[in-house]
Amino acid sequence: MKEAYIVTSLRTPGCRRGKGAFAQTRPEDLLKTVINEVVEQTGLEKQAVEDIMVGCSFPEAEQGLNIGRVISQMCGFPDTTTGATVNRFCSSGLEAIALQAMRIKSGMCDVAIGGGIESMTIVPMGGNLPRPHPQMVKENADVYISMGATAENVANRYNVTREMQDEFAYHSQMKAANAKQKNLYKELVPTPATKWVEDAEGSWAPKTWNQDFDDGIRENTTMEGLGKLRPAFAANGSVTAGNSSQTTDGAAATLIMSEEAVKKYNVKPIARLAYYTVTGVRADEMGVGPAYAIPKLMRETGMKLEDVGIFEVNEAFASQAIYCLQQMGMYDEKSLWTSDSDKRIVNVNGGAIALGHPLGCTGAKLCSQLMTEMQARGVKWGVESMCIGGGMGAAGLFELME
Amino acid sequence: MQKRITKAAVIGSGIMGGGIAALLAGAGIKTLLLDIVPFDLSDEEKNDPKARNRIVEKGLQDAINSKPPLFMDKKSDPQLITTGNLEDDIDKLADCDWIVEVVVENVKIKQELFSKVEKVRKKGTIVSSNTSGIPLKDMSGHLSDEFQQHFLGTHFFNPVRYMHLLEIIPGPKTDKAVLDFMADFCEKYLGKGIVWAKDTPNFIGNRIGIQGMGKAMNAMLEHGLSIPEVDAIFGAPMGRPKTAMFKTSDLVGLDTMYHVAKNCYDMCPDDEMRDTMALPEFVGKMVENNMLGNKTKGGFYKKELTEEWKTIRKVINPETMEYGEYGKADFPCLQEAKKKSALSEKVRAIVYGDDKGAKYAWDVTATGLIYAANRIPEISDTIVDIDNAMKWGYNFEMGPFETWDAIGVKESVEKMEKEGRTVPEKIKKFLEAGNETFYKIEGGQRYFYDFDSGAYKPVPVSEKQISLYNLRQENKVVKSSGSCSLIDLGDGVFDIEFHSKMNAVNREMIEFMIDAHEYVSKNGVGVVVGNQASGMPAPFSAGGDLAFMLGLAKEGKFSEIDDFIKTVHQSILASKYAPYPVVAAPFGLALGGGCEVCLSADRVVANADLFMGLVEVGAGLVPGGGGMMHLWQNYIRYKPQVAKITDYSGFFIQAFMHVAQAKVSNSAAEARNSGFLRPADRIVFNKDLLIGEAKKEVLRMVDDCYVPPRKEKFPVFGREAQGMVWSEMLNMKTGGYITPHMETIAKRACYCMAGGDVPQGTQVSEEYLLKLEREAFVDLWRTEETQKMAEHMMNTGKPLFL
Repeated sequence: MKEAYIVTSLRTPGCRRGKGAFAQTRPEDLLKTVINEVVEQTGLEKQAVEDIMVGCSFPEAEQGLNIGRVISQMCGFPDTTTGATVNRFCSSGLEAIALQAMRIKSGMCDVAIGGGIESMTIVPMGGNLPRPHPQMVKENADVYISMGATAENVANRYNVTREMQDEFAYHSQMKAANAKQKNLYKELVPTPATKWVEDAEGSWAPKTWNQDFDDGIRENTTMEGLGKLRPAFAANGSVTAGNSSQTTDGAAATLIMSEEAVKKYNVKPIARLAYYTVTGVRADEMGVGPAYAIPKLMRETGMKLEDVGIFEVNEAFASQAIYCLQQMGMYDEKSLWTSDSDKRIVNVNGGAIALGHPLGCTGAKLCSQLMTEMQARGVKWGVESMCIGGGMGAAGLFELME
Repeated sequence: MQKRITKAAVIGSGIMGGGIAALLAGAGIKTLLLDIVPFDLSDEEKNDPKARNRIVEKGLQDAINSKPPLFMDKKSDPQLITTGNLEDDIDKLADCDWIVEVVVENVKIKQELFSKVEKVRKKGTIVSSNTSGIPLKDMSGHLSDEFQQHFLGTHFFNPVRYMHLLEIIPGPKTDKAVLDFMADFCEKYLGKGIVWAKDTPNFIGNRIGIQGMGKAMNAMLEHGLSIPEVDAIFGAPMGRPKTAMFKTSDLVGLDTMYHVAKNCYDMCPDDEMRDTMALPEFVGKMVENNMLGNKTKGGFYKKELTEEWKTIRKVINPETMEYGEYGKADFPCLQEAKKKSALSEKVRAIVYGDDKGAKYAWDVTATGLIYAANRIPEISDTIVDIDNAMKWGYNFEMGPFETWDAIGVKESVEKMEKEGRTVPEKIKKFLEAGNETFYKIEGGQRYFYDFDSGAYKPVPVSEKQISLYNLRQENKVVKSSGSCSLIDLGDGVFDIEFHSKMNAVNREMIEFMIDAHEYVSKNGVGVVVGNQASGMPAPFSAGGDLAFMLGLAKEGKFSEIDDFIKTVHQSILASKYAPYPVVAAPFGLALGGGCEVCLSADRVVANADLFMGLVEVGAGLVPGGGGMMHLWQNYIRYKPQVAKITDYSGFFIQAFMHVAQAKVSNSAAEARNSGFLRPADRIVFNKDLLIGEAKKEVLRMVDDCYVPPRKEKFPVFGREAQGMVWSEMLNMKTGGYITPHMETIAKRACYCMAGGDVPQGTQVSEEYLLKLEREAFVDLWRTEETQKMAEHMMNTGKPLFL
């Protein structure tokens, strides 16, 4: 099989749902900015891109009508550049990258873009018209369960305490605050944001600016402050808004090439996608996904966890992220993930608790972060993984190119 | 020129000012709320408009956050209020039609304020003071004649939204037309009960009220009673609010009460009972120590939380000034009173008893009656205004003279004289002339005794009011059963009046309503469903008769419950499709069955203070009177004009949640926002005018060629609702937010409202939905859990979640 190389991988900032910078910016506009930037930074002509796949968890309304094709036209690609929408909920963005990589590996394609989009402000979680199957829910509604409830289930079933979750959340915020302050998010594309403002006469006009930071990071978070938040999903629960991922608007895109294309366009690839796998788990504790997906990834590639120098494990909820790290033997040694540790290798610049989890975008967003981190640290092997609503886990393995 | 109030200003944003502003906004009047610039601004802040408005902003925010809510619609009413300060924004008073002053009780500050107001006020603008004690002549004497002609006292009571009383006090030069305009405006637009007061210290309510309070406190020490003992007597058994004497003080604030008492003491040097207004020493000490009642979390009473999170109630001991736990106070006279049903008999049993409590009650009552009689004509010309002031401003069931009638004037005067009390000459004359009661009814008209002329005069009633009580006396009752009557309101309009306990809907009423509609279809042009129950909040109808159904359920007579609900539906539909208009006139509590009666009416004319909701799930049930169907119809037919299939989930979830969470509105405005009231339904501010307005509405609808609603099929959300609700139930269950039987009830309610398992958008008939409702209702009664929940609700008034 051929190789598939990650050439350019970028993301917009992640901005808070409702109150954040992108609340009134259409999802297509976010995606357009980042895709155009990926092509621009690679130094390609647009016609070189054969196909665009866009991960999206709620591909309807503004994100509907096959946003993959819509965006290819919006960005000004020629008619010959095709597009598709990919949905595997929280791994959609990575799924899109993996699908493109597979097409390249099998020789069906040479230059492709995989990315992700989710404006959780504009298309709400659950979609605009949720319609669970009436008979199915009466027999077993687990596949429709709310994500918060699954996080409580994980915390309860595996004894992940409130204190552990708050501590984990605190470190996520501190790692992100550090990265923001030191300007470590090299993959971040300043993105035009628009907000409509009413003037004194009652007329409305758009105000546009370049948003160049993730606006959900809370530099001033304290353990004490996190400790005061009320449970969000259960009467006596432990999962709060503070130790859960933020609901966020954002987009990300990755340009992938075959070896022939790399040579043809004379570009220097960052990494290659070595492997991608998905596994299924119980729907009502979907958060455990990475605890099964990562070992499966290791097993199928014949690698050991110790070989991997850096991890991006999506923080849908602190409870599930902690459980997954525990299962891989990486939780108790806190220096592997705390903000004050130089040895940290997990979510080194913060995770979704601080940076947000724009569902369908997350897989593509974590890829771009991982590329930055692997290059900065010279780490050979990196893993990206996440849990997936409905009860799944996905994991991808990347190898840094010399 | 046509007088009109389109914009008002309230100066002073404390609890009263905020309350008046909230009331004005609720009535749809643009309101400017002003207060002073804070004294303690830094140099930097002095140029910051935000800092300069800090006091008024806080006042407004406090009003928005108040509990019980002062605003009727917390979202949209505050938007009618603009805030400002007296330095930067005083010019804005120029476009106001009414300026009400509610600043600190200091004559000099008020004088200066009015001088400033005079400079900017446009001619013709009405200015009033909400002072509770300062004579109007003292604050306005220095102003121009034109100002004084438009100046009066408007004394609201706290909390402004809920207290019916408004004392209007003419100033020395107030124009009669201005007074009449304001009385009419405040009665109709603001819903207040108007009492005409004279410009004397503390006017009527607080003058009589504070003497009563002072006497009760001083006599408590003399008779050796405890605080809980006093409250046990001067609460419900004597026709006083449940908070009685001391809990009311805690509610009002000891500082306020102390201030009112002191004001009265200082300003009434010749008052023959001045001593009773000097509050006992321990009360003064409490005020000094900032033990002011609920606002300082401790007054005469105090709640403490144990380590086990149990609340324990404590009361202060006036001698030691320490709090201690207390038990239920009781006296033989209270036991006697309990056996009586009419309030007048209860009061008689108490004041003529011979135990310690009874003797105390008599002393306080006798002193109060004599005091009230002596205040005529000093503070008021009529007994009616004094009685109304105490009923509307202090929530007494009976004013002093009505109380006097209740215990027998002759009998009580004999007792007073035997004890050496000074009975007022006018009372002696009244008795000598052979009179027995201060009020009497003759030929359907209520008369009061006028001391000035020594003759009975008709009790003045606004022509807009209809009194069902008076109509009863005039033999206008057409039909009657134990809990329901049909009363002829004139002009072919008939009123269905509930009069069961809490006006709960029972079998008798349901059957009566069917008969009543028969009668009206032959003899009338329309129906009002309304009553004039009193209370805080008063029950239009507090729900369905649980005891009746629980009895059947316990005996396993489920088919009888089924029959009953069939009859309910028959009655509901008879009203809905009657060939004449049916207008419901709810106020106060309109819960469960009471709410359903309104939902099935052609139109609702609601009092602004309306606590409406379908609360059946709290008793383990689903609504059984078509409530879910009608609420859903309101959503899809009225909320937007056209609801499309894609809009259904939004509407359905809202409508369903009102039932599943037993949500109750805090006002008629809220009931409208939540879909219980429809766009054409009306809101009337004055409860006293409600029946009259409802009758007018019937006649208007008749005049507009009324035809009953068409009986059409309508779309439901069907199985798609089941999918949404059942999957959400899993989340609630996982989160521990719902108990197993509540989940069963919620799912059943969803089934009823959604029309079962049909595909979304299916057009169904009302009969089909009512059948689903009836089946759900009966099935739930079959369960042990529902029976337990209903029994618990009956016994405690609180839901038990199983």
